[in-house]
Amino acid sequence: MYRIRFHGRGGQGMKTASRILSNAFFLGGYEVQDAPRYGAERRGAPIFAYVRAAKQPINERGIINRPDLVIVADDSLVAIPAAGVLQGIGPQTVLMINSHEAARTWEERLNVPGQVLILPVTEEVEDRAELPFLGTTCAGAAARLIGIIPLEHLQQAIRDELAHLGTEIVEKNLQQAAEAYELAAEYAGKVIEGTEISAQDYAKPEWIDMPFEVASISAPTIHTGLTSELAATGTWRTMRPVIDYQLCNRCWWVCSEFCPDGAITVDDEGYPQIDLDQCKGCMICVAQCPPHAIEAVAESVAQLAEATEATEATEAVGDKS
Amino acid sequence: MTRQLLTGNGAAAWAARLAKVDYVPAFPITPQTEIIETLSAWFDNGEIPGRMTTLESEQSMITAAGAAAITGVRVFTATSSQGLLYGMEMLYTVAGWRAPFVMINVSRGLSAPLTLEPDHNDILAARDSGFLQIHCATCQEVLDSTLIAYRLAEHEKVRLPVIVNQDGFYLSFTREPVEIPDPALAARFVGQFDPENTQLRASAPTSQAVAVLGGSPYSYFRYELHLAAQQALDVYDEVAAEFAEQFGRDYSAIESYRIDDAEFAFVMMGCFATKAKEAVDRLRDIGWRIGLVRPRLLRPFPEQALHDALADKKAIAIIDQNISMGKGGVLHTEVASALYGAKAAPLLTSYIGGLGGRDISQEELFEIANQLKQAVEKGSAPPPRLLYTAGELREMRKLQAIAHVERQELKLGEESDNDQGEGND
Amino acid sequence: MTETAFRRMKDLPSTRLLGTGTPMCAGCGGLLALHEIYDILGEKTVFINAAGCMTLLSVYPFTPFRGSWLYTSMASAPAGAQGVRDALDILLEQKRISADEDLQTVVLTGDGSAYGMGLSATSGAIDRNLDFLYICYDNEGYGNTGQQFSEATPHAAKTSTSSGPRGFPGFKKDLFDIWAANRPAYVATVIGTEPLDLARKIEKAKNMKGPRLIIALAPCPTGWDYDPKETVEIGKLAVKTGVWPLKEYIDGKVVHTKIPRQRKPVEEYLQKQGRFAHLFKPERNEKLLAEIQQRIDVYWEGISNE
Repeated sequence: MYRIRFHGRGGQGMKTASRILSNAFFLGGYEVQDAPRYGAERRGAPIFAYVRAAKQPINERGIINRPDLVIVADDSLVAIPAAGVLQGIGPQTVLMINSHEAARTWEERLNVPGQVLILPVTEEVEDRAELPFLGTTCAGAAARLIGIIPLEHLQQAIRDELAHLGTEIVEKNLQQAAEAYELAAEYAGKVIEGTEISAQDYAKPEWIDMPFEVASISAPTIHTGLTSELAATGTWRTMRPVIDYQLCNRCWWVCSEFCPDGAITVDDEGYPQIDLDQCKGCMICVAQCPPHAIEAVAESVAQLAEATEATEATEAVGDKS
Repeated sequence: MTRQLLTGNGAAAWAARLAKVDYVPAFPITPQTEIIETLSAWFDNGEIPGRMTTLESEQSMITAAGAAAITGVRVFTATSSQGLLYGMEMLYTVAGWRAPFVMINVSRGLSAPLTLEPDHNDILAARDSGFLQIHCATCQEVLDSTLIAYRLAEHEKVRLPVIVNQDGFYLSFTREPVEIPDPALAARFVGQFDPENTQLRASAPTSQAVAVLGGSPYSYFRYELHLAAQQALDVYDEVAAEFAEQFGRDYSAIESYRIDDAEFAFVMMGCFATKAKEAVDRLRDIGWRIGLVRPRLLRPFPEQALHDALADKKAIAIIDQNISMGKGGVLHTEVASALYGAKAAPLLTSYIGGLGGRDISQEELFEIANQLKQAVEKGSAPPPRLLYTAGELREMRKLQAIAHVERQELKLGEESDNDQGEGND
Repeated sequence: MTETAFRRMKDLPSTRLLGTGTPMCAGCGGLLALHEIYDILGEKTVFINAAGCMTLLSVYPFTPFRGSWLYTSMASAPAGAQGVRDALDILLEQKRISADEDLQTVVLTGDGSAYGMGLSATSGAIDRNLDFLYICYDNEGYGNTGQQFSEATPHAAKTSTSSGPRGFPGFKKDLFDIWAANRPAYVATVIGTEPLDLARKIEKAKNMKGPRLIIALAPCPTGWDYDPKETVEIGKLAVKTGVWPLKEYIDGKVVHTKIPRQRKPVEEYLQKQGRFAHLFKPERNEKLLAEIQQRIDVYWEGISNE
């Protein structure tokens, strides 16, 4: 059985990617199963979708824990543990990341047993939440890596799944998918069908007997306030608001007032401070700042700049010692 | 006849379309909403005749469903979880009206704590309501069972509402290949709705759903409802046989998988049962004689069929995706009642798993099988077990720490885990 | 009229009481209103919630509140408030708790519950003159299940259960008038994008007794289909076009707190939202646009004459 997971952000088309791929398998005579993983699914929040395909009826259900192929549409998710991108990656797993960086860089950084491939970023946009064709691109690359899906099945699947969007959009998606299919040609057939877990030597579940605990412990009650601040919703962000304090005129704190999440506080001197661990990147502050002192910067660009700065700082320290 | 990819929700909507339903009272609730959205779009663009009305609650929705059915139209509706419970008063009521219609329930765990993910406590809360219950394991089965359900509900010997149950997320949002029957064949199979003498018309006055005073008439009406539900066992077999003949898919009241020569068996309801099929195959690969039994019908309860399939086994693992507080697994109790008094009855072991969508792994099914073997060797069944790992409890402890659950008592809990953990190994 | 602490923007609180890290969508207009309301209500509150988007504010073990919270069900939040209020009153009366342990009892629900399933329990609470504040964040549809139409959906809006060319055939229910007809202590409409007006109303409501309702129109990027950064702009347009009249019912009278001098044409508001796109594309639906404009004009005609 083939087991494939697509990881991306809400709005990047991972459900569509899974549907296109499973439909393409289906057209080739495979039994399939596809499903998105819905949580509190919000635009920008990490989500994933999965596909199973086999020549026999599929009895397995639920989240894929031993993937043969993992496709990551947004490389900023790899480092977020809660996104679960690296879950269950074994020596046979192919991990394809849509990234500017090289496979080698990712291999060193991640140190996972599987093989890392890069799906080069072809479409340059500022806001990665606005990549309408990312889903089809991922599906196209996946189809080629699997190797047994002919281009015409991929194309038919795209026509089936996107028919409701109109001819023009379908055509654009077909083109994107074909390009990704071509780009992945070098690695065609890299993904191989995973095996089944043996009933002979399986990892025994570490069951425990549920301990009895009194209601003061075991009722679903939170005994303190503000714990939500531990949930880092900053990971949803694809664009980052950056304040130019030269331009900030310390108004009546429009940005702070209108930030739905309360992620902008005002310091003692009246300057706003954005909590980047929490800012979801809605960009209301950018739109509302009266002197236009807040700029929207692509998160990927901002992170790259930070990394470079950090490296330079380390090197500088190294020079001194 | 076309085979295409549909979610469980999509399959349910297609079934309503094929059954040519007249009326869909609706109320949104996750993970059911896609069903009414799909039907709404079809109604809106004129693809299907009929009407959908969004009510303001499930209690109103089920009332409208029953009322329309006893006025004489074919009714379809759908709900889930909290919605099913909010409509509970009317579940008992419309069944008492003898209102024939079909409702999809997309199973989801019950509050509190509130969750969106599936288990079977919602549908089992409706067990004694008078609605018949068909439980599905695949998206195909959702579609087919709904067609069968109309025949069952509207059958002159039955005339009761039917719930077709599917698991939230694992079926409702999961696409699988589904064969959509030819509309003309499906329409012929389901037939026209004949409301018989239960309708509201100027020419034939009826006073329906009237009250009674005194236990004697009450007992009569209620017991007749029970007898009708029992009649539904034979009717179901007939209808399912006809369906198999016309469409080539077999839906007997219980699904038996590699059970005939088996010494051991898993018993499960709903779509997690397909996971057990997989486990059965792998275990048989290495020489086990094990099978699976899955009741499709829960009400009426196919007692004899279960007895016949299971009575000669050595040991049975009943895996309940539900829990009756202060008792344990509901299916466990039901299966035990079916096997009571059987000569050399099998050992019954009870597992609670999959509450609130918690997954059940292949490894756990293998381990359950091994415990069955050990139980036979020892001659006694182990105590009931929740499928829950030390790792899960560790994660729970982290959450409790964030929630400021008092630490000293927590520590005691952790110590007792370790004690019990060692005892298990 | 009582003196307000909020005479100008600079008087608004600049500290934020509501915690970050909630799972509400980026750009949520409901959360915007809630954080502004919470800044003024303060932490001595218990929010009693019915099923809706904001039910996800408190998902174990996370809560954004400094004070308390109780989730009930979709239909029964006001009844939950009754139980909490009665119990607190008993404890206070019998001096089993001190006065500073008292909580403001606040029902927090979406429009699905406030305009629909919860209306019966609400009516009962008003009848019993329950001392509570009801906050409805109104995003004009069942947002948490994917924006099906609710009793609060405006005419012609496209929702996932009104996807035809004319959108939702019904009309937005007037919850303000339904409440006001019961002569409660206070009813007000607010919007997070008019924070000064909101602050004054919350300040007023906070210091009253009896049933009080705040309806906050909650621009919803997900359900209304627009870019999250437009939330404030769309909210301001709702007021400037007269779609969302800011008003209050107090001492038996309805007073408009912000009358747009020159109302902008409603299409400026509609055009920004995907849920109304079918009124403009493939061609302008002049008839429907005129109908919508006229309904607003008729509403305000009465007001100008006040």
